[in-house]
Amino acid sequence: MNAVLKVENLSISFGGLKAVDDLSFEIGENMIYGLIGPNGAGKTTVFNCITKFYTPNTGHVMFRRSANDVVDLLDYNVHQIIGLGLARTFQNVELIKDLSIIDNLLIGAHSQYKTSVLQQAFLSPSARKEEKEYREKAMDILRQLGLEDKADAIAGSQPYGVLKNVELARTLMSSPKLIIIDEPAAGLNETETEALAKMIKHIRDFYHCSILMVEHDMGLVMSTCERICAINFGKKLAEGTPQEIKSNKYVQEAYLGKDDDDAEN
Amino acid sequence: MSIRNMKQAQYMLFGVIAILFPIVTSAKGSTITLLASIGILSIATLGFNVLLGYSGQISLGHGAFMGIGAYVSAYFVSQLELPFFLALALAAIIPFFVGFILGLIALRLEGHYLAIATLGLAVVIEEIFAEFSGFTGGWSGTKTTYPTIFGYTFDKLAVYILIITILVILMIVTYNFMKSSTGRALVAMKKSEHAAQAMGVSLFKYKLLAFSISTMYAGIAGSLYIHFFRFAEPKLWGIGLSLDLLAAAVIGGLGTIGGAVVGVGFLKILPTFLQTVPILGDIDGLSFVLTGISIVIFVMFYPKGLINLPVDIYKKFFSKKPTEAEEVDL
Repeated sequence: MNAVLKVENLSISFGGLKAVDDLSFEIGENMIYGLIGPNGAGKTTVFNCITKFYTPNTGHVMFRRSANDVVDLLDYNVHQIIGLGLARTFQNVELIKDLSIIDNLLIGAHSQYKTSVLQQAFLSPSARKEEKEYREKAMDILRQLGLEDKADAIAGSQPYGVLKNVELARTLMSSPKLIIIDEPAAGLNETETEALAKMIKHIRDFYHCSILMVEHDMGLVMSTCERICAINFGKKLAEGTPQEIKSNKYVQEAYLGKDDDDAEN
Repeated sequence: MSIRNMKQAQYMLFGVIAILFPIVTSAKGSTITLLASIGILSIATLGFNVLLGYSGQISLGHGAFMGIGAYVSAYFVSQLELPFFLALALAAIIPFFVGFILGLIALRLEGHYLAIATLGLAVVIEEIFAEFSGFTGGWSGTKTTYPTIFGYTFDKLAVYILIITILVILMIVTYNFMKSSTGRALVAMKKSEHAAQAMGVSLFKYKLLAFSISTMYAGIAGSLYIHFFRFAEPKLWGIGLSLDLLAAAVIGGLGTIGGAVVGVGFLKILPTFLQTVPILGDIDGLSFVLTGISIVIFVMFYPKGLINLPVDIYKKFFSKKPTEAEEVDL
């Protein structure tokens, strides 16, 4: 299998606590991959290690940009990650509330801009052209996600569900090979979650990228992910298809507690 | 696109009115002086707003950069007899690099180290200028002339027109800049450092850029100052001036372009009126008191700044239902 992202023996500890402990997994091309685990299992920490918000103690995060170009993300700074082709969302929606939705999307294209500050300040033809191109790209993405009528609305005036989608749209501005999504269903109701599942699949199919998501909502994970890695206390419990994960004894224990005789009656 | 064009036209219209006003009213010399100092400080405040209003960093020593610009400009024009525009360019570039180097040190660390470093600069700058007497004339100050361009020597009114022209150009440039990807990166950085980083914005690089650019504006303002007043002494560029810039940016409206002019205008014109009021006018350092009180009042009760006041008043009294999601005034 040609893995887009290969996490190898990742470990990080805060003080004496091992938040992630020797974790390895890999994500194939065009795959929707789920990372699950109970509260405090270290899912978001894994995320922050991959995107360099945290620097892990040991391990590698190999990212395949193209057939012959594999890089270790840990060699890069946090702001360089998106330029390599890996875009992320945040658990609590990090949009710029005072800006319009389309301007928020344009921030997502920041790593793609090539004109200099001076060209931009004096509105050189190349700067104008570039701005126009990305504006069109942003409109295309909003159209794909059914948000085109919101383009000029101020982000702060929009409901949470819309903002979640906008954040997803923003990741697409950098034409990523891999999108990583932190708890997309948090704060959404059932209908919104179903729509989200559809949207995630649509994004994968339309933009040909892989998606890694951290998620609590088992319904969403089981219905969208092709492979799942379950972790607890920073360690891998199991990896496999949704069916395999569902029937895995360790996963059940982690989520529901040990299957004691007492609990049977 | 039409809104963008409108904004730029607004700034130009403002420029035309500002230039015509003293001509049409054949204003006294003191009025021109007042208007010119508003124009000069507006340029510095405009740059300060790029730093504080858009990128969220704070400097307490911007007056020092105005001073550097002023002395550099005076030195090149009076001592080396270089053309004025070359001196003006150098007065922009040299503070830019001084700011760049200071930022290189202070911005490496997270937190308010830029504020602390620039505060230090504000405290020591008067002494530094006084010591470099070959360059600055020491405590007794330095003199220079009205600028001469292509053989034409400016008079007071002409310098004023030059100041307003440069102000308007900078307003337009700043507007374009803030609407570009670089400007958006600064705004993103101010509102959410995490989001900005995830979108590929290097915090260090953009903080440094914002700071250096804002010192460049200060340098330009300093150059215009010394060629308008034709005299400068070290105590002009201390912490008082730096705090005036901060106050003007806050009162006018952070993150707005027109706010710089409105804020400076408020701080300059109000004391002039109040001085004519009996008793109140006798208070020493009235403008300092006013500056302090105004900052407190605006931060507490109207942080959007004066520039947004007319729109808010209009909305309150004349429109039945508030329009949702109106774009923040730039």
